[in-house]
Amino acid sequence: MEMLGEAMISGIIMGSLFGAMAVGLTIIYGVIKMFNFAHGIIAILGAYLAWWLFSSVHLNLIGAIAFSFFLMLLVGILIFTLIIRVLLRTPRWPYSTIIASIGLGIFLQNLLLQIFGPRIKSMPVFFEGNIKVGGITIGWHEISLILIVLSLMLILRIFFKKTTLGNAMRAVAQSPEGAKIVGINTLKIFSYAYMMGIAVTGLSGVFLSTKCYVIPHRGWDWMVKGFIIVAFGGLGNVMGAYYAALLLGILEALVVTYVGTVWVWNFWFVSFLVILLIRPEGLLGGRMG
Amino acid sequence: MLNKIGWKKMAIWLSLLVIVLYPVFFHSNSYIMHIFILFFCWAVLASSWNLLFGYAGIWSLAQVGVFVIGAYSSGMMAKFTGISPLICIPLAAILTALIVTLFVGLPSLRLKGIYICVFSLMFADALPSVLTQTRKWTGGGRGFHDIPPLWNNISRVHYYYVGFAIFLISLFIIYKIVNSSTGKAFIALRDSRDFALSLGINEYKERLKVFALSSFFAGLAGAFYGHYLGHISPSSLGISPFLLAIAMMEMGGLGRFPGAVIGAVVLVFGSELLRLTGMSRLTILGAAVVLIMLFMPKGLMQIVDIIDNIKLRKNAIIK
Repeated sequence: MEMLGEAMISGIIMGSLFGAMAVGLTIIYGVIKMFNFAHGIIAILGAYLAWWLFSSVHLNLIGAIAFSFFLMLLVGILIFTLIIRVLLRTPRWPYSTIIASIGLGIFLQNLLLQIFGPRIKSMPVFFEGNIKVGGITIGWHEISLILIVLSLMLILRIFFKKTTLGNAMRAVAQSPEGAKIVGINTLKIFSYAYMMGIAVTGLSGVFLSTKCYVIPHRGWDWMVKGFIIVAFGGLGNVMGAYYAALLLGILEALVVTYVGTVWVWNFWFVSFLVILLIRPEGLLGGRMG
Repeated sequence: MLNKIGWKKMAIWLSLLVIVLYPVFFHSNSYIMHIFILFFCWAVLASSWNLLFGYAGIWSLAQVGVFVIGAYSSGMMAKFTGISPLICIPLAAILTALIVTLFVGLPSLRLKGIYICVFSLMFADALPSVLTQTRKWTGGGRGFHDIPPLWNNISRVHYYYVGFAIFLISLFIIYKIVNSSTGKAFIALRDSRDFALSLGINEYKERLKVFALSSFFAGLAGAFYGHYLGHISPSSLGISPFLLAIAMMEMGGLGRFPGAVIGAVVLVFGSELLRLTGMSRLTILGAAVVLIMLFMPKGLMQIVDIIDNIKLRKNAIIK
């Protein structure tokens, strides 16, 4: 029973962390309709920037995270203007963006490897100490992560439902032509959405790096998990991605506990196969919100 | 004379002649011959991927995985049953096409665009853990060793010509597919999907056909590759071969027939040169992939188009 409880808890934690990462992916897909194959390395980049600001520039923890968030916004606008915007103008953008972002991801991954070296990095935990609930030990740090991600989701939800910019993004997501007719500058919205997606992803990378170690190669695995979560929750659906991440996180933890660590990838493959066969539009369907 | 034959045909025949005659004149230089053999494998892989990605618009990312499956299945067949590798190679290619079509094609080809991208990527990522789990048969993470050679006492020159034969046959068939009714169906689907569907083109069936065929060729190239090198390991599923194949396809020109072959020439020989840069090899390749997409979206085939245009203009002025 305790084993089950611990598996559930660790599943919820990993689920919320991967949920935060998948949300960045789903924002970009939902609005621009392009898949960001550089996604995993963007998360790693966020983590590395925060780690570098914390350990080499000696900012405090909150300052480092906030500043890395800000830098990731800049990275987002840079990638968008230099690469994505140029490619979106061509008629073959659906697959030229795929190939270009794969190239970009591998470029960044090896660049990080050369700059920071192959040693693993990790951020310090936010809060020390544990609490015990019915024989199960939970760290305060983990509770804080779950709460932070939950509040991030709520903020995003309010952003998409209540603010003008969020509504404009949802309008572009539903119908770019319709949005253009009512006077929305779609390219501008694309750039905001891309920036936001990249920044949220970078933030999720920072959170992931407090829980598990970071090396540039891990980005690829994170990204593939992110894809499956996004497809599970419905492409372009923010809350769907979060729920799917929690569900898949718990299932993965159960697989690790009762079947074995090596079967994790096969589990992800099978779960993706199942969702493709049964409900290809995802759990909640593909709508921004 | 030159104008009548056409410079493209001239170039193709000349390069084929060079490939055929190379071992005759440079018998001793086996390093270059080795690179040529690798080029044959890569060119077939990249062309089959281009058939899938560029022509049919099926954005599968698992083609390197298919290649590796081909290598493993042919190697295992030859090693454990003792059948001659010459029979195992085509059998393994058929088996590969069956496996991949069953696991990747059937579930995902009904869906559009991005799903197949993600699903095939997932398939390729799940392969290494399957391989490491079945150590008894596949040798696990250390790789599958002692794959029997094509025949006893085989020399590199023999491999060279067998590889060349596989290269020629595969490319000829791919060329035929592109110009067949299937190829035309894809052009119709690409240009006007609704009209093509209303004419009775069964999209799912056509896509499945191309998927199986391109898996067959990737498996064929992989099987030959395995027998040539004598060992294959899960590290072939890593990021570096994957990026190399993508770069070949893109550099040659997506959806253009000999494009992937030209890309393979440039990158197989180029990546040998890039080995000199050591650590930054993948960084350079990744940046190149982005830059080509930005500044030369049609790849090296764009240069062929430019030459064609100049010729046309010249002829127009003369007449």
